[in-house]
Amino acid sequence: MSAPRQPREPVLPPDAVDTLLRDTTPWLSCEECFERMDTYAEATVADPAHVDEAMDTHLRGCAACDEEARSLIDLLRA
Amino acid sequence: MTALSRDEPRAAAPSRPHRGAAALPPGAAALPPGAPVCGRHDEPDPMDWVAALHGAGAEHAEALRRLHALMVRAAAHQVWRMRSALPDPSPGTVEIIVNQAADEAMTALLGKLDSFEGRSRFTTWAFKFAILQAATEVRRVQWQHREVQWRDLDEPRASAHDDPESHAEGADLSRAVAAAMREVLTPYQRRVAVALLVDGVPIDVLADRLGTTRGALYKTLHHVRVRLRVELTARGYLPTRPARSRGGGPGPAPANADYSEAPTTHTGGVR
Ligand SMILES: [Zn+2]
Repeated sequence: MSAPRQPREPVLPPDAVDTLLRDTTPWLSCEECFERMDTYAEATVADPAHVDEAMDTHLRGCAACDEEARSLIDLLRA
Repeated sequence: MTALSRDEPRAAAPSRPHRGAAALPPGAAALPPGAPVCGRHDEPDPMDWVAALHGAGAEHAEALRRLHALMVRAAAHQVWRMRSALPDPSPGTVEIIVNQAADEAMTALLGKLDSFEGRSRFTTWAFKFAILQAATEVRRVQWQHREVQWRDLDEPRASAHDDPESHAEGADLSRAVAAAMREVLTPYQRRVAVALLVDGVPIDVLADRLGTTRGALYKTLHHVRVRLRVELTARGYLPTRPARSRGGGPGPAPANADYSEAPTTHTGGVR
């Protein structure tokens, strides 16, 4: 006979903890990210070491914009 | 717990009418990724796109035809990248999604033509509209028959398949984050965070189900992260660091902020 199971406190998986605590400052909106994506992609293609802190930060925190920016860069390199 | 469904379910992509089919340039849909087409970043623009698209007659028609070919190419590139997410990645389905995305992206681009400032090549600027539209469409098709659970942190997932005990490593931090979520986030913020970052619902899909925008949800997510980082830093789980510029953005949410409704205005091409 087993004791009734106690409801367990949910534990967030490590990847969720990681992304919940991601530092997304400096702030950049998805709209601004879209507006800057073309110049960002061209600059990255011209110089893979190109740094744009606000864009880079947004892309680390926004999976959808990140996929689209990486896709545009790949397309320009094709 | 609530399951979010669409107010007006759209049919699966393949069954939707393809309103732009007749306008498709011959062979455009068959352009393979990597095919030579104007728009290489290292080539000069061969035409003044904005003038041609504002023009009339044969030059205007030719500009529209070439622009559509560019949109099809970029949409095909995007759908190809995400094809594994499609329930039906058959060539016919892919082609329908590509053409539909290209049509809608072209409409969006033409509506914003006067905002093109020439800071990038026109073709690069055009590509991003098609990529956004195609990626959003693939995510929509991927989730069109799936429920989105609008659940709070302590409500179980309907299809939980991971054992919490398997996350024993880092469980202390995990519990601290969960506790902070309960204490410093509003129910709306928690549900958004759970859907996007725990349950993996794509941001466009959640925005669509909630009747809001990607930008609004990202803003909520930003506030969630700022609040959690402040709280976890205060509890000694994160190192303190010097204050930094926030680039004129919304900054951290005040302690009593209540984002019970999705805030935002839609100013860009991102929905
Ligand atoms: Zn974004």
